Amino acid sequence: MSKIAIISQPDQGVLIDVSGCTTMQEAIDHLSSTLQVSSQFWKGSNVALNLGKLELAPNQVAQVLAIAKGVGANPQTVWSDSAVTRTGLTQNNVQIGTGAPMSLPKVNLDSSAQHDFVQEEFPEEPPIERSSEEDITHFYETQDGESLKQEFSAPVEEPEDKAVKTAPLPTVLYLRQTLRSGQTVSHKGHLVIIGDVNPGAELMAEGDITVWGALRGIAHAGIGGNVQAEIRALKLQPIQIRIAHAIARSPDRPRVKFASEKFTGPETAKLVEGKIRISKRSID
Amino acid sequence: MSGRVIVITSGKGGVGKTTASANLGVALANTGASVALVDMDIGLRNLDILMGLENRVVYNLVDVVEERCKLRQALVKDKRLPNLSLLPAAQTRDKTAVNSDQMKKLCEELKELFEFVLVDSPAGIESGFQNAVAGAEEAIVITTPEMSAVRDADRIIGLLEARKDEIKEYRLVLNRIRPSMVKNNDMMSVEDVLEILSVKLLGVVPEDEEIITSTNKGEPVSGTDNTRSGLAFRNIARRLRGEDVPFMDMDPQNSTWFSRIAKFFNPAARV
Repeated sequence: MSKIAIISQPDQGVLIDVSGCTTMQEAIDHLSSTLQVSSQFWKGSNVALNLGKLELAPNQVAQVLAIAKGVGANPQTVWSDSAVTRTGLTQNNVQIGTGAPMSLPKVNLDSSAQHDFVQEEFPEEPPIERSSEEDITHFYETQDGESLKQEFSAPVEEPEDKAVKTAPLPTVLYLRQTLRSGQTVSHKGHLVIIGDVNPGAELMAEGDITVWGALRGIAHAGIGGNVQAEIRALKLQPIQIRIAHAIARSPDRPRVKFASEKFTGPETAKLVEGKIRISKRSID
Repeated sequence: MSGRVIVITSGKGGVGKTTASANLGVALANTGASVALVDMDIGLRNLDILMGLENRVVYNLVDVVEERCKLRQALVKDKRLPNLSLLPAAQTRDKTAVNSDQMKKLCEELKELFEFVLVDSPAGIESGFQNAVAGAEEAIVITTPEMSAVRDADRIIGLLEARKDEIKEYRLVLNRIRPSMVKNNDMMSVEDVLEILSVKLLGVVPEDEEIITSTNKGEPVSGTDNTRSGLAFRNIARRLRGEDVPFMDMDPQNSTWFSRIAKFFNPAARV
């Protein structure tokens, strides 16, 4: 479980979840490093905070609230499993959440399905056809989602099938920072990162993911079955890409020469006939 | 006078934090500054070994924090440089022996006595690391040019960025680089590492066998003139003091005529 997650749902607001942290200092570290969003983002949003099992004295609660307020996120509701913390919350005049807080989407990535995956031939070098008109071919191997398909409501054999969930995704979470290893962001809409996503960072979105920088971590778009979701980046060099139920991984070769890697330009990844394809065309 | 408290950290173990701490300490002391080395790897102390002072340790950091002795009693003066002192860690305790507040207080005290306080952090991101950074205002992140070390360094930098109110400056030292391997594209280059970490570069230290012998002898390389790694550490010390020192030429092609002749007779010679 990641140490901090930002979960936003259009109808419920934004939840900052630090329940994965085990100490207050950890929670503070992650809050400070991840909440570098423009304060415009928080305005008008109903912001909530999930402290999980963290036990905080009243002054520590005040400290955590102050950090969130410092970046413009003023939590109106706070969830906590600890009675000690709840006392602190009441003393700080914060409303305590009842019931369960929003959680990260449950995604079933059954790794035992690996045996089914289709071996595809892919060239060792990026194919030269990348500059051609057509959608460029499989650059990555894709995991066959056979055993996973029952988990999601959207069938994927027929891309024309209109039964795919196409509910509008009105909100976009817009972050202007580089995500470092260990940081995660999740959003029930589209996700835009202005900055790099370093190896070890994870992005999750129900909609599209757009990285205005280098995507070198893990990105999962279309959580919940949205097979129309796309992942795009100025430099698409991820460890893994996941769209809806499909997973694709980068080719097995040493990934160390980042500075001198041939820059092939901005690319988009999307699901075509159940397999993830990378193309240079941004509009389709 | 209020000294500079600099924590030397990395995330990954074994990349050269303790070696760097010892060598920077000696190099800074040789420029005339008063330096305190603090070993925060409680339970697995090594800094005293690298400095050749392990038989001179009487009291340690935990004794100071638990008020069994005064700070001055625990500080061990270096056997060669009078302006360099070591505050050793405890070998028989573990990292729970100290907390952040105690560390802050200790660093406040040390700042008043020394121009430079170098804190050698243990590996990891848990309480050992958190205690080590507690009193620091600057940080040096050490990494080697390998994906695993760079990944961990990235994590550490993320954690240091979160403490931007306390840690005002953090810079990178790239350790154990082998220029010939970089040239063959078998090893990450400085640019590759900076592409991921995006942090200011303080120095680059080449791989050097002399480090092994220096550790065994208890004499840090930066104290003598004849090693490349020692020179690199001395340059880093000068940069810490504000001097603008150009980076060493690591290009293996620019080796001297002597090394080329040596290589002719013995291709495996590392010169």
